[in-house]
Amino acid sequence: MTGGALLAVDALPAFVDLPFESHYITSIVRVSLYVSLVAVAISTLFSLPVAMVVGFSEFPGKSLVTAIINTGMGFPSVVVGLVVLFMLSSSGPFGPLGLVFTPEAMIISQFVLATPVITGVSLAAVTSVERNVRDAAFAMGGTRLDVALVVIKEARFGIATAVLAGFGRAISEVGSVLIVGGNIAYADGTSYTRNLTTAIQLEARQGRFETAMFLGAILVALVLLVNAAVGRLGGSGRTR
Amino acid sequence: MTALLEVTDVSHTYDEAVFEGVSLSVERGEVLAVIGPSGVGKSTLLRLLALFERPDRGSIEFEGTDVWAVSEGQRLEMRRNVGMVFQEASLFDAPVLRNAEYGLRVRQSWPDRVRRGVADLVGRRNGTSETAREALSVVGLEGKEAQNARSLSGGEAQRVAFARALAYDPGVLLLDEPTSDLDPRNTALLEEAIDEARQREIGVVLATHDMHQAERVADRVAVVLGTGIAEIGPAERVFEAPNDDRTRKFVAGELVY
Repeated sequence: MTGGALLAVDALPAFVDLPFESHYITSIVRVSLYVSLVAVAISTLFSLPVAMVVGFSEFPGKSLVTAIINTGMGFPSVVVGLVVLFMLSSSGPFGPLGLVFTPEAMIISQFVLATPVITGVSLAAVTSVERNVRDAAFAMGGTRLDVALVVIKEARFGIATAVLAGFGRAISEVGSVLIVGGNIAYADGTSYTRNLTTAIQLEARQGRFETAMFLGAILVALVLLVNAAVGRLGGSGRTR
Repeated sequence: MTALLEVTDVSHTYDEAVFEGVSLSVERGEVLAVIGPSGVGKSTLLRLLALFERPDRGSIEFEGTDVWAVSEGQRLEMRRNVGMVFQEASLFDAPVLRNAEYGLRVRQSWPDRVRRGVADLVGRRNGTSETAREALSVVGLEGKEAQNARSLSGGEAQRVAFARALAYDPGVLLLDEPTSDLDPRNTALLEEAIDEARQREIGVVLATHDMHQAERVADRVAVVLGTGIAEIGPAERVFEAPNDDRTRKFVAGELVY
């Protein structure tokens, strides 16, 4: 679908007189998707086990962890950007990795932003699975892992919502990726760390409103597309 | 001869249920009904037998081995020799056949489970389905395999729960008030399934407050009153000529608690 969308954008100038080169758009979409999908994938792999542990274990500081997750869901993205920039800058603890102003730095900042959302919504989803379903999985001879898998499967629609919310938070975020990515494009206009949101911000600031509106439409279309894909997956799971 | 399942002098507190010094045993092919008023701890006792938790005191042995004196891996193997049906069906949001197969699936190795998952995706079933289908036929649910379990009636759901436990051929089957919410027809079907389990040499422990049901299906009855077992013995004798005075009153429908 993504490839199709990019091809469609490539084909657009043949029919529409757009005030930019097509590869400018396609490279921005590629960076946006790469950064947000990778950040959300890593965040999901991290968030699900955390949600399971917090949801079904008793440990000292559990309420503090829950409070941190809930607070993180509304954390200002520019502050996240500043902290990530400090950590990755040459004088920061991870400076030697040379990640600042790279797509990977943007992934890190989006990971930080998406993780509390995915963890928090997943936590609500997994804890809503009835105890008797977990008991049944255990009583049928399931191991802890089997019980966890049953819980994830029972909560799959809530978890899909969590991933979607995390993706929405990541791809529509502008503050932190601008700080840690730098909104960089090569001389020929191809994006390096410029994604849809930072490009919209730049285009609007420079008065190229048509381009900004077009980019905005692509951003909305991407979010709708992912929404529809997740909804379709959920629907087929229900009837299978 | 070593009992299939033996509980010796078990004491435990769980929520508001408290019992002390409980001892009982179950043999293969025997139905033991645990009767008593609601809230006396019958479900707690069954949860202990299903190894959900360790009793505060006393021992639980499967075929002569103390289940809490072995490694976790060995205990898992013992746990997998037990099936349980709860008061609520507790089915998964999946087709009936997937529910019935669950116990079989978790007993497979991970490579087999992955292969099975792939076979499901491409629509090629393997042998485990047949065992589960056979268990579904015991409870009269042929033809319902593809239906989502959450769309079943309460009675059908409980029969699927029974088939799910029967499918992997456990040594012991624990039934926690399995018919308390069912109509007479579904109750009769489940009682027939209990009889089928007995014929398969499965030891059945049935917790119920329905004394008539206990009289119909049980070989022996344990009467739980207060904090322990007031009387245990052959069903006919316990209902016709109980030794314990409180049991006699309870069987006669008098208030003893």
